[in-house]
Amino acid sequence: MSTALSWTELRSGREDLGSLLAFRSSALSRSGHRRVRLGGGVVLLLTLASVLGPAYLGGETPRPHSGSLLALLPSMCLGFLVLAVFTAVASAGGRELIPREEAVAFPVSPTTDHFGALLMAPLNIAWIAQAWALLGITAYALGPTRWWAYVLPVLVWVLTATALAQVVGWIAEGVRRGPHGSAIFRSVVVLLAVGAGTLVVTDRLTPVLDRVPTDRILLTVLDGSGARWVLWGTGVATIVLIGLAAVVLGGFPARWALNRPMREELRLESGRHQAKAMPGSDFVMMLRIDRGAVWRSVPLRRGLMVLALMPGGVALAGRLEWQMLTILPGLVASGCALLFGVNTWCLDGRGALWRDSLPVSPRTVFLVRGVVLLEVLISSAALSLVLAVLRAGRPTPVELAALICSTLVVAIQVVSASMRWSITRPFSVDLRSARATPAPPVVMAGYSARLALATTVTGLIFSGLAQVDDVRYVVGVAIVFLLWSSWRLERSAERWEDPVTRSRVVSVVAAG
Amino acid sequence: MRNSDTHSPPLGENGGVDDTSSDPGDRQARVDIRGLWVRFGAVAAVRGIDLTAEAGRATALLGRNGAGKSTTMRVLAGVIPPTEGLVLVDGIDVREDALAVKRLTGYCPDVGGLVPRATPWEHLQLSARLRRLVDWEDRAHDLLERFELGDVAHRVTSGFSHGMGRRLSVVLATFHEPSVLLLDEPFDGVDPLGVEATLEVIADARARGAAVLVSTHLRDLAMEACETALVLRGGATVAELHAHELLGEEGAGVYRALLD
Repeated sequence: MSTALSWTELRSGREDLGSLLAFRSSALSRSGHRRVRLGGGVVLLLTLASVLGPAYLGGETPRPHSGSLLALLPSMCLGFLVLAVFTAVASAGGRELIPREEAVAFPVSPTTDHFGALLMAPLNIAWIAQAWALLGITAYALGPTRWWAYVLPVLVWVLTATALAQVVGWIAEGVRRGPHGSAIFRSVVVLLAVGAGTLVVTDRLTPVLDRVPTDRILLTVLDGSGARWVLWGTGVATIVLIGLAAVVLGGFPARWALNRPMREELRLESGRHQAKAMPGSDFVMMLRIDRGAVWRSVPLRRGLMVLALMPGGVALAGRLEWQMLTILPGLVASGCALLFGVNTWCLDGRGALWRDSLPVSPRTVFLVRGVVLLEVLISSAALSLVLAVLRAGRPTPVELAALICSTLVVAIQVVSASMRWSITRPFSVDLRSARATPAPPVVMAGYSARLALATTVTGLIFSGLAQVDDVRYVVGVAIVFLLWSSWRLERSAERWEDPVTRSRVVSVVAAG
Repeated sequence: MRNSDTHSPPLGENGGVDDTSSDPGDRQARVDIRGLWVRFGAVAAVRGIDLTAEAGRATALLGRNGAGKSTTMRVLAGVIPPTEGLVLVDGIDVREDALAVKRLTGYCPDVGGLVPRATPWEHLQLSARLRRLVDWEDRAHDLLERFELGDVAHRVTSGFSHGMGRRLSVVLATFHEPSVLLLDEPFDGVDPLGVEATLEVIADARARGAAVLVSTHLRDLAMEACETALVLRGGATVAELHAHELLGEEGAGVYRALLD
């Protein structure tokens, strides 16, 4: 098969993308369309607010710390690229605009798939929040004068970094799908981690970051701010050209990767899983089946590993203090829930009808699924925290209590929201492909924003409580949060026990 | 294999229900449906179906797509609650005690029916655990071998072909020797050996006194497996026929006429 990528294919890929988007859009109800428009409008408004707010409301210029903030901009731009690369690699090149099992009847080319993955990359709260942070910091540091001129290079970089990350994501996926791909990929990851660790331990990270090529973006930003239009135009055009090249050239690795067999998925499907002894209770038996559904799924295994290690690694490198670590469990828990928890019954796949025909109380089924989700969230958060506290020094009892309480509270909060959404909006999803998500992209974007907001606010509350020198306040607030989430969880369990509601959920989930 | 619960009906010495050998008029009604309606919002999937399935008998549910066959099966399996009407399985009202009904029935769903990342053995283990079966392993092995799934007993089902999945779904439905065996499209995409094994399973179930309901589009196979057929159209019953009335070319004509 030819791997050549022609202009014709690029053009048809763009046209096919339009058709796929129209297909996706046609599946939305009227209220779905309204929600999408509303969500898009809110994101646009908040993006404008993230620029105009800090630009106009930041006080007199020059502003305090504006020099330090601008000095950090190249590192933050690099950080955005690293985050986008992690996302693209973890999602096996990028998310599918149309799930594989639905797209199988249509001639969707790898180029269209590449464009679709690019289009969906921003539908992720981590991407959006990082972009807002970059824009907001730049706007605060430079004030309202010619704000559009310094914002444009940052905005263009955000898009270029996403396209570059997509190229890396496809290459990584292509390597993974090759002979010994997993071993090669893991070796590269270990080498990179060791390299980054060495830089951190030897205190050479800052000098290295000072020399990163993203300093060109800062120079272009300053050219815009200083009205040096030729230099500014050249800088912006360079970033745009790099981005366009990445978009076009990304089609090559996409084609290479997507034409290779999905070795890891096939290995899991053809491997043998030795029978274990019959457990002593229904609960443990169901727990075993549900755990298998999580850990035998390629996207879930990859996602959980990234979420358990990446935030902790970043906190370790940044030497976060104990008070700030309270935000970390929320990020990890939200990410884990977005892997399967928000549509948790999809773990049963097309076996949902059969499972529901088994003689077991619906409450036990609900409890087991909640426990499986909870243990995944807690264990991932714990692993991340173990990494993060390595360089955080010795905590005070209040800081330790705040971190433990914050972890428990956000875990129950996320489980409660996930179980509620799983009943309200079930989807038929096959989590076989490493690119699969438990809900359509737009729905996932909404879930990720809501989870991030709730858990970040909770984390910040405990961060504040960690500064109050009394453990009783921390525990008291945690109890209030836990009671509230438990009550909502109980209400979801009651809904699940309703045979009409349950039959709707299992029928939808099994319909794939 | 034994069931440590007491929900199953009494079995005779040869494994059959005691009353199956008596006069057909005295046969025990395992399934009794009166005026069943199932609505999903504004759409009525089943409109007032009446059905009786007796011990030791197999009944085919025939009809076009959307006739209400699978929905009726799901109600009997305790998966979908009836909107209106009375549904009794071995005298137990499915609306009152769905859990008891689930203990009495064995269900092969029309779609999938398998947990994608669990192995056949784990499916059987889960069923055995929840149904309180003891000494079930020999029967499980036997069934897997009969359906030629012994070699893949410890592989996850997501890698299975459609036919393999169908065969395993039949195994799971019949594994615990239920009083009511519900097979929804059991022959769909199944090879001749799998069809043969499924027909044997139906015969075995009838012999031990179970009522069997088979929903399928394959009329000839349905008539081979069943004695009576209920033809559904638009969610309602349009005819109840003996198998011989639907056999051959003549039967095909009769059936075709009932579908329009």
